[in-house]
Amino acid sequence: MVKGHKICYSHKNYSILKGVDVSVEYGDMLVIVGPNGAGKSTLLNVLANEISRNTEDIYFKLKRFKEWDVLDLSKNKAKFSQHYNGDIPLSVRDVVLMGRYPYFNTVPGSNDLEALEEVMKEVGIEDLKEREYNSLSGGEKQRVHLARVMAQLRNDVAHKLVLLDEPLNNLDVKHQYQVLELMSAFAKRGNTVVTVLHDLNLAARFATHVLMMKNGSVLAQGTPEKVLTPEVITEAYGFPCSIWNHPVRHHPVILFGN
Amino acid sequence: MKNKVPLYLLVSFLVLLALAGLSLYIGVYRFEEPSLLKILGSLVKGDSSVPATDAYIIGKIRLPRVVMAVLVGSILAVAGTCLQGIFKNPLATPDLIGVTSGATLMAAVTIVLGESVRALIPEVLHYSMVSIGAFIGALGAISLVYIISSGNGRTNVVVMLLAGVAISSLGFALVGLMTYLAKDEQLRDLTFWNLGSLGAATWTKNAILGVVMVATYSYLMTKGKAMNAMMLGEKDAEHLGVNVEKIKRLTVLLSALMVGTAVAFSGSIGFVGLIIPYILRLLFSSNYALIIPLSAVWGAILLLSADTFSRTVVAPAELPIGILTAILGAPVFIAILVRYKKTM
Repeated sequence: MVKGHKICYSHKNYSILKGVDVSVEYGDMLVIVGPNGAGKSTLLNVLANEISRNTEDIYFKLKRFKEWDVLDLSKNKAKFSQHYNGDIPLSVRDVVLMGRYPYFNTVPGSNDLEALEEVMKEVGIEDLKEREYNSLSGGEKQRVHLARVMAQLRNDVAHKLVLLDEPLNNLDVKHQYQVLELMSAFAKRGNTVVTVLHDLNLAARFATHVLMMKNGSVLAQGTPEKVLTPEVITEAYGFPCSIWNHPVRHHPVILFGN
Repeated sequence: MKNKVPLYLLVSFLVLLALAGLSLYIGVYRFEEPSLLKILGSLVKGDSSVPATDAYIIGKIRLPRVVMAVLVGSILAVAGTCLQGIFKNPLATPDLIGVTSGATLMAAVTIVLGESVRALIPEVLHYSMVSIGAFIGALGAISLVYIISSGNGRTNVVVMLLAGVAISSLGFALVGLMTYLAKDEQLRDLTFWNLGSLGAATWTKNAILGVVMVATYSYLMTKGKAMNAMMLGEKDAEHLGVNVEKIKRLTVLLSALMVGTAVAFSGSIGFVGLIIPYILRLLFSSNYALIIPLSAVWGAILLLSADTFSRTVVAPAELPIGILTAILGAPVFIAILVRYKKTM
């Protein structure tokens, strides 16, 4: 699906990514974790084709990004960014409709409007659709963009890729779970999800694979059980923790502190 | 939701048509033949069923002028709206960022210094020398402002406006210098350029404006979606399949062409590209898919009303139209500043 070999990236002689190997398959939900400044967002941006340098060795569906048609690519891959322009003087509906832009020329078709209604219902923002985007709270704006990204990938293409950069910022606990459940279900339909998260317990609960980064390199990579160990976490964050087994779901539960 | 664009456009066109009829009819000269349709009909058929003076006034004076007001107004408003789209700011209009000044400056240089190079270029180009000069001036100004003020997909509004101020003052100084160097008959042309007027309308100029309009609109009219997406951020627009770099480059080039041609034929008529998008944004929020086509019609309506007013209010004299649009534009400028104070 997406394969990157020895990804390097540096900014003004400061190296941010030092030879990262990534490989994600259909049906995977890869969660990238790590301390601040570890290079998580940069890695995601490289995988999303936002950085054109040094992407020679990144293959998306066995093709380099350069070999893709831009419009075709937008139907196969979408990205949720960490920072959006806070000032978009449009209605919520118009912002979500942007997700359908690759599918119509000037007038949205009936399938576009259907997709629009469906995603707004799934994300739970149908009550907001006539509101001005600018009048929303931070968390509501996040969910509008999430709906937009989901609208973009609502099509018949098999094996799509969605990249999310800290999608849970500003969200309350209910919406955090809602977002990750939607993404997990999306991955289970044969798609791929790559997301940056800060909450290790949510990573343990939802990820099929976890990639722990530190200082631009991969510290550990694999199933949550394999990566989320006291040794790896303590080495990455420099903070003590202990791992317990979830009594019902049997995934690791991390308790921080001594 | 039904698509409301055609309905809004239809209503706007009807308003424009009614206004054009009215504008043809009123003026200093009183027609002997009371029916406007009859005069127009005889012009089309080429017969002489109406008094010759009536036919002359309509066919050679008022109709070209009305058509020119429509074309120039429309072109200026669309150029303003599209520039706002790529600069992502409602203050990015040809006047405020120095594009009009750049075009006026080069038009002035061509008028005054053009004579010495006139002998060197082919005769076909003589007529369009001022237009080409204005286009080059507009393109230079707009590229300069864009390079100075934009980076990393964001525009620094303060830098953008100050770059406009810098270009405008350079333009002002050099136009002053040209005025100093100019001969008498050139001086008259220069004054005309500085204040703006539609009085010199001819069918040849209208034909050129029409070609520019068709060429630029066929590209820009469908770019509303892309300009909406660019509000998210340029990277995010690219994720939606928008070719951001290409759209920015072509929009810069086409707006320079539009402003350059408009300035070459009608002088610097300011603020149309500021007033129209502002009003449309108030009514329809900033949905470019809607406001680009609508600004094409409402720009025409604004300039046609302003021109009709300017030639009737102090008849038989004429108020320079640039003064009129500036009087309308300045309060809009201030209103935008107040409204966007927080986000600048």
